[in-house]
Amino acid sequence: MSKFETFARLHVAGEPLVLFNAWDPGSAQAIAKSGARAIATGSASVSMANGFADGEAVPLELALANAGRIASAVELPVTIDFEGGYSTHRDGLVANARRLAETGAIGCNFEDQVVGTDRIYDIVEQVARISAFRQGVGDNFFINARTDLFLKAKPAAHDHLLADQAIERALAYADSGASGFFIPGLSDLLLVERITSAVSLPVNAMHLPGGPARADWASAGIARVSHGPFPYMAMQEWLQEEARAALA
Amino acid sequence: MPGKFETFAALHVPGDPLVLYNIWDVGSAHAVVAAGARALATGSHPVAVANGWPDGQNVPIDFALANARRIVQAVEIPLTVDFEGAYSTSPTVGGENCARLKETGAVGCNFEDQVIGGEGVHPLDLQVRRIAAIREAVGNDFFINARTDIVLKAEACDDALIEEVVERGNAFADAGASGFFVPRLSEPGQVERVVREVPLPLNLIAFPGAPDKKVWADAGVARISHGPFPHRALMKTLEEMARQAIS
Repeated sequence: MSKFETFARLHVAGEPLVLFNAWDPGSAQAIAKSGARAIATGSASVSMANGFADGEAVPLELALANAGRIASAVELPVTIDFEGGYSTHRDGLVANARRLAETGAIGCNFEDQVVGTDRIYDIVEQVARISAFRQGVGDNFFINARTDLFLKAKPAAHDHLLADQAIERALAYADSGASGFFIPGLSDLLLVERITSAVSLPVNAMHLPGGPARADWASAGIARVSHGPFPYMAMQEWLQEEARAALA
Repeated sequence: MPGKFETFAALHVPGDPLVLYNIWDVGSAHAVVAAGARALATGSHPVAVANGWPDGQNVPIDFALANARRIVQAVEIPLTVDFEGAYSTSPTVGGENCARLKETGAVGCNFEDQVIGGEGVHPLDLQVRRIAAIREAVGNDFFINARTDIVLKAEACDDALIEEVVERGNAFADAGASGFFVPRLSEPGQVERVVREVPLPLNLIAFPGAPDKKVWADAGVARISHGPFPHRALMKTLEEMARQAIS
């Protein structure tokens, strides 16, 4: 079985794949040693580790080179947080997607916010973007289509109407070639369940410190739980404390 | 107001050592700055393994320089870079490479005498020519921390070996080194002798199980760095945290 197939099969609703996000080959190897079944990067972590802001401020060349080094450093399948694919037009997306697949990564996150703005692409635009991305990567690549609806709205505004908008997007994204659907920022388990029941794609939730436990995500039908920037932030805190003790 | 180089050089005080908690990228630099560090030092081993290469100049020089530049631009305090053998055994090319390193804004480097990818250490006369060429290429305002690996490479550190360490330290000083770095030197009596007989600030590595910093300070050490150990400990912690999250 190819790495892509292995990875795709790890997405089981109710028995989620847990991804503890990495940012460089060293962190990927440490996470692989812990018994992980796949490696995922987080774009915020990669940015911070290299001194850039999040939001495609990491130069594409650095992002791709880092992805390639991670894919070479571990045996496990690697999925890359590729933000908005570093392009706002079709040809650019096809080309960048192809280059990402050439790094050896077998999947990516691909988001629907217009990077650098508060805007979210409308469905028609995002469907075209996903289909361009699919054209670039071919069939054997897991496109985890992310919606930023819940990150852009305050938790108090996370209601049925917003969940239904997400469902509408998920169905359209599935038709345009997405392999998974990612809903970071949503922690209301009833709304999560509403989405997982209505959507055929495996759904990815982002684990937040203090947020729902893994068993709760599982019961709500989640197929993948990732950790976003939190592993990196925890490591930064740990390093700072160790350094303070050593410098004292 | 003194420049970053002068600030960094002045931090080397025998008996009151500058402590460097080694970093490898911009993120780790930020964490160590937030901890109150007065200067930053990369370790070549962590830079290598964090990025998927083995140590020993397997990190491409362009990557090493770009990484150094990103760190310099991200922090206010002085940065010294572990530059291994300056990516060349040729004194001229080593000098050119160190000049490129200086252009990143780094204020100093470690420069070692081991034969990278081979056995043992370079003959003293070659190493002296390499250091002199680097000094000529970088000018006076760059801290060349000349490292000898003879203790690291030896099975036991006896008085005869310390004799050689002292000989190298003096020759490195004459060639233009700013500091003397002896990884694995540890025993306070031997440390004291090197401090007494070599006219350069002495740098040791704090390894797990090493004497207390106070003991080394009392022996006259001017700089204590941590080599690969911060990164190693962090990766161990990450592995444990990931295991908890995944299992």
